[in-house]
Amino acid sequence: MSAPTNAELTDMLARCALADQRAFAALYEATSAKLFAVAVRITRRRDWAEEVLQESFVRIWHHAGSYDGVKSAPMTWMTAIVRNRALDWLRRPTEVQSSEEMDAHMANVADEAPGPEQLAALSAQAGRLHSCMEQLSDDQKQSIMLAFFHGLSHGELSEQMGKPLGTVKTWVRRGLDRLKQCLDGLQET
Amino acid sequence: MNYEHPTIRDRLAAEYVLGTMPGRARRRFEAQLKLSPVLRGLVSEWEARLTPMASSLEALPPPRRVWHAIEQRIRGNKGASRHPGFWNSLAFWRAAAGVATAALLILGIVMTNVAEPPTAPKPMMVVVMDDMQTRSPAITASWEPGSHSKLIHLRVIGHAEMAPDTAWELWMLPGKNRPPVSLGLITTHELQTLEVPAQIAPKLDNAWGLGMTVEPAGGSPSGAPTNPMLYLGPCVKT
Repeated sequence: MSAPTNAELTDMLARCALADQRAFAALYEATSAKLFAVAVRITRRRDWAEEVLQESFVRIWHHAGSYDGVKSAPMTWMTAIVRNRALDWLRRPTEVQSSEEMDAHMANVADEAPGPEQLAALSAQAGRLHSCMEQLSDDQKQSIMLAFFHGLSHGELSEQMGKPLGTVKTWVRRGLDRLKQCLDGLQET
Repeated sequence: MNYEHPTIRDRLAAEYVLGTMPGRARRRFEAQLKLSPVLRGLVSEWEARLTPMASSLEALPPPRRVWHAIEQRIRGNKGASRHPGFWNSLAFWRAAAGVATAALLILGIVMTNVAEPPTAPKPMMVVVMDDMQTRSPAITASWEPGSHSKLIHLRVIGHAEMAPDTAWELWMLPGKNRPPVSLGLITTHELQTLEVPAQIAPKLDNAWGLGMTVEPAGGSPSGAPTNPMLYLGPCVKT
């Protein structure tokens, strides 16, 4: 199956807003595998990722009418919904999530920290972002990728990377600043 | 946190999208996000910048059961899909009748306890918000009491229209002269689901009622209603 175009996805979302369940099924077929990958990567647990994906698609169905094609590409909009649900899931109040669960999560992250292969894949998919990421220092790159792909908070990043909280915060902030400069600069030329 | 300073605001938006904010900061930021169109714009910009990173992930088809669960939850979009039969249930209409009576007392903001209808198999919280001008039901809301993550299922009755550059904001009315608490913006869609902010969710079951006001686009700038309640109704447990 070839990847659906933005125009096709936008059309499906517009029909979802009109309560067209067939369009919604098509949208799910076209995007769920990519979005599930995002949920699995952040939550690190299949069962959690399934919950997150379910919540996300129910939300997509109910909010399709508020999707604005001028403001964002359809896949960006849907991915943001999935990432937000996944992050909310990880950041649930602690009475719901035990510390053992969080420890297990951190251990999983250690096993599968994003490495050069992830950057290489990024180069094929999103060339501009990749070339801007390449301009960051290794520490900035690593902390941004860990946060993006694994949903680590500042505190968890500090633990994971074995560096003081202040140092990690600075890496992230400078990295984001440089990324913005680079991406927005490229946009203008 | 200073949400007014442009640089700080942009950084917060970036950290929110990246996901580095701890839980409480994240929920505070989300509350601000509901109130500020500027902040929402910055978040969209950061989403556009960072989200393409996700395209590098290998596709992973989810098990079929996920789709079945989703389908269950959205099916029968013409009715309240999550609670089949609920809108036809006797308990609901008894509650609605109780509400109509209660509506007469609403303007005095008297804390009435609507007579408890016979218990339905599954308890539900129901609010029938009446249009304060026409006195007819305008929006119904329902949610499961007690659950920790609260979703309010809303049904807009009739074909309501929203004036340009305005927004509909839903409020929890705690009662006992305490001020309304924003639950977020809603649309004119017939069926919609609103996720209650985590810090408000535990209080919702004990609220006196819900109300809706018309606010400037983006929602009330002050966090308090700027107009009188247009739609209003008390919470009833079925």
